[in-house]
Amino acid sequence: MPYRHRRATATAALSTTVLHPVPWLLGALGCALALPAQAQSQVSVEELARRLEAIEQRLGTASPAAGDGTAAVDTADLDQRLRVIERKLELQAEAEAARVASAPVVSLSAAKGLSIKSAPPGDVEVKFRGLIQADGRFFIGDERVPQNDTFLFRRVEPTIEGTWGSLFAFRLGAQLAGDSATVNDAYVDLRFSPRATVRVGRYKVPLGLERLQSSSAGAMVEGGFASELAPVRDLGVQLQGEFAEGALSYAIGAFNGAPDGRDGATTNPDNEFELIGRVFVEPWKNSGGALSGLGFGVGASQGDKRGSGNNFLPRYRTPGQAQFFNYRSTVLADGQHSRWSPQAYYYRNRLGLLGEYISARQEVLLPTGNARAALDHRAWQLTAGWVLTGEDASYRGVVRPNQAFTPGGAGWGAFELVARYGRLSIDEDAFPRFADPNAVASQADSWGLGLNWYLTSNFKLVANYTHTDFEGGAAAAADREDEKAFFTRAQLSF
Amino acid sequence: MKTLLSSFALAFALAAGTASAKDVELLNVSYDPTREFYAEVNTAFAAQWKQQTGETLKIRASHGGSGKQARSVIDGLEADVVTLALAADIDAIASNGKLLPANWQTRLPHQSSPYTSTIVFLVRKGNPKGVRDWGDLVKPGVAVITPNPKTSGGARWNYLAAWAWASQQYRDGGKVVDYLTRLFKNVPVLDTGARGSTTTFVERGIGDVLLAWENEALLTLNDPATRGKFEIVVPSLSIKAEPPVAWVDKNVAKHGTRKQAEAYLRFLYTPEGQRLAAKHGYRPAEPDKVPAAELARFPQVKQVTIDNAFGGWKKTQAEHFADGGFFDRIYQPK
Repeated sequence: MPYRHRRATATAALSTTVLHPVPWLLGALGCALALPAQAQSQVSVEELARRLEAIEQRLGTASPAAGDGTAAVDTADLDQRLRVIERKLELQAEAEAARVASAPVVSLSAAKGLSIKSAPPGDVEVKFRGLIQADGRFFIGDERVPQNDTFLFRRVEPTIEGTWGSLFAFRLGAQLAGDSATVNDAYVDLRFSPRATVRVGRYKVPLGLERLQSSSAGAMVEGGFASELAPVRDLGVQLQGEFAEGALSYAIGAFNGAPDGRDGATTNPDNEFELIGRVFVEPWKNSGGALSGLGFGVGASQGDKRGSGNNFLPRYRTPGQAQFFNYRSTVLADGQHSRWSPQAYYYRNRLGLLGEYISARQEVLLPTGNARAALDHRAWQLTAGWVLTGEDASYRGVVRPNQAFTPGGAGWGAFELVARYGRLSIDEDAFPRFADPNAVASQADSWGLGLNWYLTSNFKLVANYTHTDFEGGAAAAADREDEKAFFTRAQLSF
Repeated sequence: MKTLLSSFALAFALAAGTASAKDVELLNVSYDPTREFYAEVNTAFAAQWKQQTGETLKIRASHGGSGKQARSVIDGLEADVVTLALAADIDAIASNGKLLPANWQTRLPHQSSPYTSTIVFLVRKGNPKGVRDWGDLVKPGVAVITPNPKTSGGARWNYLAAWAWASQQYRDGGKVVDYLTRLFKNVPVLDTGARGSTTTFVERGIGDVLLAWENEALLTLNDPATRGKFEIVVPSLSIKAEPPVAWVDKNVAKHGTRKQAEAYLRFLYTPEGQRLAAKHGYRPAEPDKVPAAELARFPQVKQVTIDNAFGGWKKTQAEHFADGGFFDRIYQPK
């Protein structure tokens, strides 16, 4: 290769590198060496040598062959020194590429929050998530059973979740909204395959449809009656998985045993376990047709519970979170506790429907008089939603408004109207021996209307009105006063 | 409770069963200059294995600076076998990664080194700088190409060969260190691996002499593109480089590939494996298994060994290449 040509090629490579600490210097050298023959003849070899030496000093790459500046400079020497610089830049580029390729990727976005992912293949990933729900709760006409109007944090849940290699995944979530911090979720998944994952720790048990829905995606501020009979979180181990690209999912697990509508205790107070399982099918999930959003399934649990108090026996609440049923304090859970719950949802375009029924049967004992019964409480609910602004409804709520709300802009986010009706019936045999008919109701019916405003995919405002009427629950066999609750919520989730 | 336990036993059996069906695959994590050698070994062994067992074996290879490769295995690269440049790198996998037993070197013949090599000089045709021996490398104006001993096994052999020569030449520790210091001052580019240094010298045209594995130098002379441009200079003294091999116990147990991994490494000791080693410029550990004509290309060279001259790899590693060792004193990055 002719000397001049070789120089021009070399300097072109140099001047295009982005890693060079003194690009202007190399650029100048590149320009000088790449000049046309006529112009180049005006630059002496000695001048080029001095400029190259300056570059070497700036780069700290003085070559042993470079000499001390006093020896006669020849083109072969310049050639060698330039090659050394080129090669070092190549190595720098390779090292930088390797560094970038091996560096973890940190990303922060409004939709997905903060995540840190390891270098390719990226099988170690940690995500930081958060959910904040700030409520304003107001009760109307509550003269006889007064409830406190209040502002409160319903949920403050920072969460860390992620994957650790192809086999392990984890989730660790705290609940900071109460008077003391508690652990929400803390579990490890061993993901043998999509069809078989073993989950160990504390998490939502696989039974109630609405209970399994994310807290941030609920149609209304509080859950319906069916969720009052479904356990929430418990400690245990379960096998879960899905088939046919998610058209069929299952979970079966053994847990310490949680009372209806509540979390399980931190230990197993009665030394008995509860087996819980659920199968859910979406036969047309991947068809894209009108039935693609139809899913139905059944959840069930069975186990023994033996003991008294809140860790064993349920207390049922209204959608306004007021307790309207509990057992007499002398009653014990003493025997089999079983639940079963057929459930379904249907989401099609802007329409969303969710319905579930649940029956919870518990053997109870009243030691005084040795009275024993197996009481079967039942509840159901139907929730419907309609997205006014045209976005798709889903089990996860309106995931992304077509036009996010922008102050002063055209976007108003998404609006969704929701309605719910539900009933919770207490087994008639509970009264009067196991529950006091003058203090707790035997049945509650509730309807509610709500408006959800999804300003962005992360921020949601909710307003609900719920009306609940009761059978019994007041002195002299009278009905408890109706509950009329107006709840509002501001929610940030990411 | 019995029902519950039965259900879970069944569930876990299903889970384990789902995870078991996998192709048989071996990963050989090796160092830079073995690329071509193991490409041929892999093909030959897979064919032989298929014939013997009917099992289709896919062998993947990863190459890089030996030290960096060892670090990768320690950090989680699931190598079934490692075929690295020096025992210290596999020792590091054993001690830091706890992936194989400390006595791994006793499991295969010849201290688990099925082939050896040595360090020679590759110079440009006609040897314009007149490089004949180690002493010529520190002359002013002689640019020496060698990779970084911190990341490259080959570089460590280069360094130790130079040290061994200087020790015999000067018989004074200070002078030896001074010699090595001057030698590394003559190194204009410090690559991370041996193959990178060959690229620097052969393709980029940098430097006057390349300190090279003998097999790497022979490869350059055998390449039609470079055959006429270089020549090999055999120094008066060099070092017997013994690149070892080992299967990685924890990984083969996890993958269920112990049988295949061990057979793969034992294949290197067969006549076919030894012949392939010679073909690619490695000196066979059992030369009697290779036709004499194929050994003629290896000249006689006086060699020291790591055990005799330096007291073994553990001592050498700690004294010379660990942080604060001799190399850190000798070489200051610019």
